[in-house]
Amino acid sequence: MSQFVENPAHLSKSRLKSDLVAHSVELPPVKSKKEVYVGLHLQHIGQKNAVDFSSDEEDQVQDVSDKEEDTEMPDPSGLTDDDLKAALLEHGVKAGPIVASTRALYEKKLRKLLQSNGHGCLNGVEKGVLYSDSEEEEENGEEEDRELGSEGEKEETVKQSDQAQQGSSQVELCFQNGGFVYPQCFLLSSRLHARASRNREPSPKWNSGNAIESSEQSRPPCSQIPVGISRASSVDQHSGLGSGLDMPIVDTMKNQSLYYTPKASSYEWKMKLTQEPVKDTVKNMFPNTDATTTGIYATRRRPIKGAAGRPVQYAYPDTPVSPTTLEKREVERRLVPIQIQILVFLIVTCLLYLIYVCVEDNSFGPSVALLDRFYQGSDSEEGLLLQAETQDVPAPSRQE
Amino acid sequence: MSSTSQKHRDFVAEPMGEKPVMALAGIGEVYGKRLEEKGFDKAYVVLGQFLVLKKDEELFRDWLKDTCGANVKQQGDCYGCLKEWCDAFL
Repeated sequence: MSQFVENPAHLSKSRLKSDLVAHSVELPPVKSKKEVYVGLHLQHIGQKNAVDFSSDEEDQVQDVSDKEEDTEMPDPSGLTDDDLKAALLEHGVKAGPIVASTRALYEKKLRKLLQSNGHGCLNGVEKGVLYSDSEEEEENGEEEDRELGSEGEKEETVKQSDQAQQGSSQVELCFQNGGFVYPQCFLLSSRLHARASRNREPSPKWNSGNAIESSEQSRPPCSQIPVGISRASSVDQHSGLGSGLDMPIVDTMKNQSLYYTPKASSYEWKMKLTQEPVKDTVKNMFPNTDATTTGIYATRRRPIKGAAGRPVQYAYPDTPVSPTTLEKREVERRLVPIQIQILVFLIVTCLLYLIYVCVEDNSFGPSVALLDRFYQGSDSEEGLLLQAETQDVPAPSRQE
Repeated sequence: MSSTSQKHRDFVAEPMGEKPVMALAGIGEVYGKRLEEKGFDKAYVVLGQFLVLKKDEELFRDWLKDTCGANVKQQGDCYGCLKEWCDAFL
């Protein structure tokens, strides 16, 4: 697995420096050549992986004192400010300035982290946990559910992002353990637990296959996985795993957005993707789906009625109606509908207008003609009567 | 109606200037005295500590507890007061 181990010679001097600080190794004099840094880097970071690392290195003089601090850093109060800061950084804590007033607090924090790290290491705690050989099976149990057709590069991607702050040595540990650790990003999609529970059986076989393949890094990225992940993974694949902390920091950025995309699109995932691995058993479970080139099977969830312009394809029962709505409907039925109300209003308006016109007129002639016309359609008797009335009215008025 | 006290509102309403440390929400006579003994005699000194801790709530609360023994509620009040002040004026 040498390819997973970062090659310090490829790192820049400043990168090596920061790595050394992170591992609380005393830095050589500022003007040392890069080889000095590389040697120190190899020694100390290599030391974390191999317990029985021989101590025949050249730069032994400085390392003797550092070795003791290297593995555990048990006493935070014995550390220098920089060391304390580096130690906190390893545990994923971005510490502010360590001055007189803040030092005590940060020491306390580091102690807490060291304790919790010692206890939480074996439990497979999500954030910033060392992945070791002993945890393989537990994590397999947890994370089998979460493979979404993920390949080796994805585990590396996510692992890198998770442990960027912990230092490269831990990343190497994971790589050395092989492809039995699964992507962190899929931790969020707990929904996949239920769905993927039936996949437990095929997945172990797939895991072993994956382990083999991951080392080859030959599997193409799944197309159906949100673009961000595939992009990041492919980038990682190409950039090589030996790049140490540079990539993980970049990945953290990317993968933070990745973390958001799974969250945001988890509903979509549930709908579209089950990300079944390519296996006969799986094919049997989904006989209707066509084999895709990427081997991803998707089952369509029943779409939400009328959502996003989708036509209503499924018969849904009537939505339950609240009592108040029912009451409103009842009342509305009994009241006169609006249309008829408007019509009546218009008729009344016209009548009033006519009356107004009649009243306005000084002479009765036109008004009589108007009235005649108005009553033209009615019975002749009534019209005569009216005429008689209208004639009678002016008559008495004239007489006056 | 927010759950902030009058003291909080008074503090957040204007730049703190030379206000004593007891002007902070959650810091009364007793805690104020203890802070002053430790050298935090003005509100801006506590502000300084708050900022040096990068406005981190947990760290600031721990610091407050260690320095003057404030209880959880008072820690929260003080933190909230300073945070809001920073949001407004910093």
